[in-house]
Amino acid sequence: MATIDNEHLTTLKGAYDVQLMEVSLRVQRFGGEEDSRRRYETYTVEVPTTATLLDCLDAVKDKHDGSLAYRKSCRMAVCGSCGMRLDGGAVLACKVPMRPYVDAGHVVTVAPMGNLPVVKDLVVDMQPFWHKVRAVKPWLDTSDEAPPQTEWRVAPEQQEAISKESLCIMCGCCVSECNSMEADPDFLGPAALAKAYRFVGDVRDLDTRDRLRDLNGAHGIWDCTRCYFCNQRCPKGVDPRDAIAKLGAETFREGLHDGIQTLMTDEGARHAKVFIESTYKGGYLRETELVPKTIGPLGALKEIPFALQLARAGKVPNPLMPHKAKDNAEVKRLWKLLEQQTPRHQERALRPEDVTTAKGV
Amino acid sequence: MQERYAYYPGCLASLSQKELDSSTRAISAKLEIELIDMPSVTCCGAGDIHEAKPDYYLHLSARILAQAERTGAEVLLTICNVCCLNLRQANKKLQSDPAELARVNDNLMQVDIPTYSGGVEVRHLLWEVSAGDGFERFRSVAVRSLEGLRVAPFYGCQILRPAKLLGFEDPDRPESLERLITACGAEPIDYPAKVKCCGFPIVLAREDVALGELVQPLQEATDAGADVMVTPCPLCHLSLDAWQQKAANLAGRPFQMPILHLAQLLGAAAGVEADTLRFRRHVTRLSEDVKDKLRLYDPVARV
Ligand code: SF4
Ligand code: SF4
Ligand code: FES
Repeated sequence: MATIDNEHLTTLKGAYDVQLMEVSLRVQRFGGEEDSRRRYETYTVEVPTTATLLDCLDAVKDKHDGSLAYRKSCRMAVCGSCGMRLDGGAVLACKVPMRPYVDAGHVVTVAPMGNLPVVKDLVVDMQPFWHKVRAVKPWLDTSDEAPPQTEWRVAPEQQEAISKESLCIMCGCCVSECNSMEADPDFLGPAALAKAYRFVGDVRDLDTRDRLRDLNGAHGIWDCTRCYFCNQRCPKGVDPRDAIAKLGAETFREGLHDGIQTLMTDEGARHAKVFIESTYKGGYLRETELVPKTIGPLGALKEIPFALQLARAGKVPNPLMPHKAKDNAEVKRLWKLLEQQTPRHQERALRPEDVTTAKGV
Repeated sequence: MQERYAYYPGCLASLSQKELDSSTRAISAKLEIELIDMPSVTCCGAGDIHEAKPDYYLHLSARILAQAERTGAEVLLTICNVCCLNLRQANKKLQSDPAELARVNDNLMQVDIPTYSGGVEVRHLLWEVSAGDGFERFRSVAVRSLEGLRVAPFYGCQILRPAKLLGFEDPDRPESLERLITACGAEPIDYPAKVKCCGFPIVLAREDVALGELVQPLQEATDAGADVMVTPCPLCHLSLDAWQQKAANLAGRPFQMPILHLAQLLGAAAGVEADTLRFRRHVTRLSEDVKDKLRLYDPVARV
């Protein structure tokens, strides 16, 4: 069997025109339970100019330190295994080309994702992540509805409504920098909530109200502080923050039109409702109304010292002379028109009998 | 930088943060740019309206953009991160989807509201003065050096993320505020939480979570030795300023960090009178030391 010597390799490289570059990485090392010290090691590897961050880590593991731990599988941004932080922001290691960093002379810092416990080096424990995804019941609930004789028919535009959320590969990048999860580790978080919308928005699912009721509780949709880190980080364009906004809109649609007050008891939903009414009346947001109406009269009493502090600085607009936008009547007409246009219920998929009819056509 | 802007102060600068409005008008006069008022604009429909009634939000924004268009200016100038993201998002939707623009305009027409043809760009004051000829113009009016003042920049979220709707600078390593602080003769302070959230959107509904977020920047800026923080967003300002003592209670340590609106910092460096910058309208007052370092121009020595 012929051995491949260095000369042969150089010839091969020439044949395929592989250009090499040197990449330096500062990698966070942490040995797990028996090692409480986190430290950084810098490695320099020679890799093709087309190399990704994952290729570089492979080279480190092959040539420098076989004990370096990280997850990978598909190498093509499909499996969601290789989430990690590059210079503080979560990425899929297999999706990031390193050439621009080399050209800029910048040594990147690689660390495990945030908001999840670290097991070893770049490997995090995904258990809390899966736990939250499972908590939103990530499956279709068609309850006791008789199964269709042929199939559930979903129109292309109905599928389109949940197409972005269906792209999620469960990598956890959106969770890594979620600001609300840093403050409340029990917050369901962007990935689980995007998954929740994938089912709330699915016309075949019959559990919409119960789902929304659960999502409106503690650690649910109203915990989201709209920092937009999730949209910024997601490598698949899921835009979890937008999915959370859609869950808010569904809550209002179901809750206000059908008078399901249980859906509207969350302080977050109440705040949203007061906000909308405030702009309806005056065209502007009137902060004075927000505090008592959001937290209720008893809560507001507790807030009196705080409110006085704001009043002293002139931050509380006069409740007797609310500021009104000129021509506010225009806005009221607009609101009424749009309310008439709002569909009262989500249009559901064709039922089995419709399918039969459709088949007959 | 333009010569004329359709000026959209938004809810906060019109009501509880009037000092931001007066400072913006004053710095604009120094920069010799004209701000055209739009008296019948409403809230842009950001936040909760956007979330709960997305179609109402889109129409409110369209109505504002239509009014901006009728001023003849090419750019709507905002001084709020949240207005900036929400108006840009609505604008992008209307500009890139002709069917949607037609539907919205049809609704506006039905209730006798002027329609929008998609010809306005939405930009934040920070972007206009931190780059290009706007920056040169600011440098030439920043005549009072704020030397010795240590300023912690706080960007807030919705002027950085999502970059595909904002895209002025690297959302993880922004530097526009630092550039302006330096141009004022002051010293920018670096700290990791400068790109994080102030917690304002949920401070009424989830105060504990919001304060948990707010503590971080206050703590880091204090520990890094900042004299003041500066922010381009009135919601961040309200959170950092008015909720500061609640954050201190949570952190179990005192904070005494004056928070400046961007326009106030620029105004101080350009010699705008203290009476116009109206620091008295802040909950967290300026210390004598900070007043000195800000070199407040006060003809009647009254701050
Ligand atoms: S926008 Fe909401 S869900 Fe997304 S990262 Fe921020 S707090 Fe988390
Ligand atoms: S939403 Fe995006 S970032 Fe979050 S888990 Fe899914 S694919 Fe990953
Ligand atoms: S290895 Fe599969 S997503 Fe990166």
